[in-house]
Amino acid sequence: MKNSFRLLASTLLLTLALVTGSLSAQEKTQPAGAEGPSPSNSLVRVNATLQAYNFLRPWEKGNPTPRRGLGALLSGGRVLVTAELVVNSTYIELELPTTGEKTPARIVGLDYEANLALLAPVDEKSQMLAKMVPFELDLSVKAPDTISVWQVEDNGDGVSTDLDVLRATVGEYFVSGSILLVYQVKGSLQYRANSFTLPAVRNNKLVGLLLSYDSKELTSSLLPAPIIQHFLDDLKDGKYDGFPSIGLGFAQTLDDQFRKFTGLEQVKGGVFVRNVAKEGSAAKAGIEEGDVIVKIASKEIDSRGNYAHPIYGKLNFSHLVRGDAKVGDTLKFDLIRKGKPLTVDVKLERREPGSYLIDPYMFDRGPRYLIFGGLIFQELTRPYLESWGKDWPTRAPFNLVYSNANPEKYEQQGREKLVFLSQVLRTPATLGYENLNSVVVDKVDGKPIKTLADLADALNGVTLNGLHKIELEDYPRLIWVHDGVSRKVNDQLLGYGIGSLTRLE
Amino acid sequence: MTFIGAGVAAIDFAGGGFYTVPFPFPALAGAEPPTLPPKLIRLRPAMMKCPSRALMTAFLVPALMWAADSRAQNAAPAPAAVPATALPAGVADVPSAAEQADVSQIEFGAVVRVEVDMLGANYRVPWNIGGTGSGVGTGFLVGKNQFLTNAHVISNARLIYIRKVDQPEPFPAKVLHVAHDCDLALLELIEPGDFKNFEKVTPLEIGGIPKLNTTVTAVGYPIGGDRISVTRGVVSRIDFRPYSHSAVDNHLTIQVDAAINPGNSGGPVLQDNKVVGVAFQGFSGAVAQNTAYMIPVPVVNRFLKDIQDGHYDNYVDLATSTIDLLNPAQRLALGLPNDGTGVMVVNADASSSAAKLLLTGDVLLAIDGHAIASDGFVEIEGERINLNEIVERKFAGDKVKIDIQREGTKKSIEVELRRFLPYLIQANLYEQKPQFVLFAGLQFQPLDRNMMEVFNIASMDVRYFFANYGDHELYRERPQVVVLTAVLPDEINTYLEGYVSHVVDSVNGQKIQRLQDIYDALKDGVAEKGHENFHVIRLLNEGRPLVLERNKAAEAHARILRKYNVSFDHYIEVPLIEQVMGKMPPIKEESPEAGKEAKPDDKADAPNGKPPGAAKPE
Repeated sequence: MKNSFRLLASTLLLTLALVTGSLSAQEKTQPAGAEGPSPSNSLVRVNATLQAYNFLRPWEKGNPTPRRGLGALLSGGRVLVTAELVVNSTYIELELPTTGEKTPARIVGLDYEANLALLAPVDEKSQMLAKMVPFELDLSVKAPDTISVWQVEDNGDGVSTDLDVLRATVGEYFVSGSILLVYQVKGSLQYRANSFTLPAVRNNKLVGLLLSYDSKELTSSLLPAPIIQHFLDDLKDGKYDGFPSIGLGFAQTLDDQFRKFTGLEQVKGGVFVRNVAKEGSAAKAGIEEGDVIVKIASKEIDSRGNYAHPIYGKLNFSHLVRGDAKVGDTLKFDLIRKGKPLTVDVKLERREPGSYLIDPYMFDRGPRYLIFGGLIFQELTRPYLESWGKDWPTRAPFNLVYSNANPEKYEQQGREKLVFLSQVLRTPATLGYENLNSVVVDKVDGKPIKTLADLADALNGVTLNGLHKIELEDYPRLIWVHDGVSRKVNDQLLGYGIGSLTRLE
Repeated sequence: MTFIGAGVAAIDFAGGGFYTVPFPFPALAGAEPPTLPPKLIRLRPAMMKCPSRALMTAFLVPALMWAADSRAQNAAPAPAAVPATALPAGVADVPSAAEQADVSQIEFGAVVRVEVDMLGANYRVPWNIGGTGSGVGTGFLVGKNQFLTNAHVISNARLIYIRKVDQPEPFPAKVLHVAHDCDLALLELIEPGDFKNFEKVTPLEIGGIPKLNTTVTAVGYPIGGDRISVTRGVVSRIDFRPYSHSAVDNHLTIQVDAAINPGNSGGPVLQDNKVVGVAFQGFSGAVAQNTAYMIPVPVVNRFLKDIQDGHYDNYVDLATSTIDLLNPAQRLALGLPNDGTGVMVVNADASSSAAKLLLTGDVLLAIDGHAIASDGFVEIEGERINLNEIVERKFAGDKVKIDIQREGTKKSIEVELRRFLPYLIQANLYEQKPQFVLFAGLQFQPLDRNMMEVFNIASMDVRYFFANYGDHELYRERPQVVVLTAVLPDEINTYLEGYVSHVVDSVNGQKIQRLQDIYDALKDGVAEKGHENFHVIRLLNEGRPLVLERNKAAEAHARILRKYNVSFDHYIEVPLIEQVMGKMPPIKEESPEAGKEAKPDDKADAPNGKPPGAAKPE
């Protein structure tokens, strides 16, 4: 029970990130005389080649891997897919299921937290999609409606499978910690070659994209149309803001003893604020740990954290402050603080992933690093820790895992990024240091290291005795490297196939 | 057990019983590897911490002797990382005539079979007894009614019997002294009259350190039969290694290739009919072949000398970490010539013998006159051995003279040695009665390795305290880290089950620094200001306090004791670290941890609440 609170708490603390492209907002009407949408005239095969960066060998990218899915054609010749389909893509092409005709595509809208991407042909004059029929969105789906998932056979024929909507809830999409509205649906689906992203429709209107499918339980989760609409609306002005985040964690207040203790005897419902993220929307509005939230935007929050949604019924309040809200919106929060009612206006904001000490996710770009004489320095990111696999919280170096969960200490030191010595290549300059790894760097030549750029500057500075003194947070606390030897080694490392010694941008 | 860095499992040779019979210790059998901080995987150069800081690496795969075999299966083979630097030249290949001695000259009567019935501790249900089991090991006569064996043979023993090689009846025995840090124990027959059976037996004589490539003979009662067994091999290596029994100690060991198997534990390894070691651990065949270890004579002699005053005082420790000085840049920066000497001090624990005497950046040049090489080795009696060995042979109160170079100036300092306890939080503990406080179904227990393994706690905070208790000197603020380990469900606590595995920060306004504090804070009359009608339990890094209504709690407590068959609701000891080191003042400097913990316990009373910047959402 508590685990789920936890999960939610962490998500709410997260802010969203996003990469936008410029959107060609040339809305075209549906070609006259065309039939309504159908799998064969509204779906586009999307073939992407993905190549992720290697966070443990930061100068490298990994194996290029293909990923295929189905995109839903929207008006204006744009194709909607999940962002996961095109994450870290090096090449994307659109393919007509019926004819096999292909054209290269580019990303014109992207939000990893909402797991949505909008594609368009690179060639703006391409007519490949002109004869197809774009979808409209249907935002009204609720339980127990029946919807259809559309697929395409190899020969281009459409297949439609009916699924039943069980409920609307909030859940995780692609980026861990980012929680938004999902539909839970039930029914069996057949695996086909383009199955990565599948559009779901009702009455020939798009109601969502399939996020996941459990073949054992025959349940799926669906990224629903209201979130897609939010994404599309946000893109319209050419400046994408993303989904806001409230930045607090809460506990339920079902426990009568706890309600008495918190002064809630005369109050209905409400959730207890367990923690407030620094710099988050809630903190800026003055919400404090220990407050009880009883209403948001005049909607009563029950003691489990749900409110009555006009369509979906009981729904976690996170939808109210994230999926259903826009960056810049101001919501009125009714609180109980120390037994007394209080109202605050919360202006909803969103933090870029790069603005965190430790980036919660990083796609389409490589991690920053610097190699000096064989010492490999990096800025800590969550993907670096995730390189240890599914069990990374127990397998990755514990001090770094702990720092990721408790960055406040470093933020208070004024660090912008957490620079650490990730590993050491055995070279003449690193003799004796071969086994060092995963230690946070405090200072180089006496200068505090707040970013990797600081480290680069320090190592380029004038040295005493031709040596650089590197102070570390933990064992061995203090090492020195020879500037001249390290630079010679740098040249050799380039010769050994390390393509570049730094990525600082 | 695993060894430093190598990620290799070794096993104790506790006895056929231990090895083949499933051991139903709830606390031990089938325990998952604890979620220990993987940070400790790091390979670090030789450190001179407790004989073991670097060894803590070893604990990712814990050394449960009864489960060792299965664990070993998962262990990676040892990388060939041990430098073969220390082989003295000119060792004779051919064993001397004496070494070839006929085994019939061995005094078999002195080598006894030690049969043990065991009773484990129950950390999950601490008012219950633990599992039972039995095992077999070996021991040998070293003096009048004194039998030496391994600590792990007799740990958690309920009954001990000694059997002579040529007599059927078992003689009840008891433990005179046990040293868990070096895996040795001394037994005696309970009935002095029984010893008449041994009066004609000559106790085995303790010898010295055997040379490499000389023959040794192991005698004992290993698996494969009931009668005494003799195997023979050569001395393969002399090195500083982890002792798997405690999992945190590192001492001199001698590796031999004689077949030493479960049941050999505690048995003598002989050369020229003198004891040159006590067989104690080795690798499973899945990991390495013909690799067995014995406890060498310096360790045995130290134990025997230590107990002469009637009690065992444990090893002493410099509790100082060092880094090798192999890099020319280090040497240049420290003003050292390239002569291959010296190691640099990384840190001396603030409550260790060397605190304030050794500083970060000091170079250790010699210890008791033995020059320290830049890889941390010294030469002792012709062998290159880790410099810790000098400290290892000393006792509490002894002094060690260290020649150092500080900021270019050479000086000599003297350190009075004493025991260093914080690392014990990560040690296997034996003969323990689990400490706990149960209140209204909330079960509180102090953090230690035994508890960690049973509850397999994944909580970040608990793992942080477990991993950094010593390194970050967390023991100063919390000699015992008290964890809410379980909730016995009842209507009073039904919403609290989700809060297990948290560290308890305060109870009824009282800071919790040890288990006793919880017991005291739950008494009548102790309350958080403004919340007199509640018991208020605040957890570390958790904004939601656990609250129990006082008028219901007492009744619920009685009901829970009855329903759950709880025979007693608490067992508390003064923490060992406070028994030995006394009460320690908290560190002066505001560490971030201290800052966190200093948050007002009763913030409901804080006039203005906390400044928003002090909030710590985690």
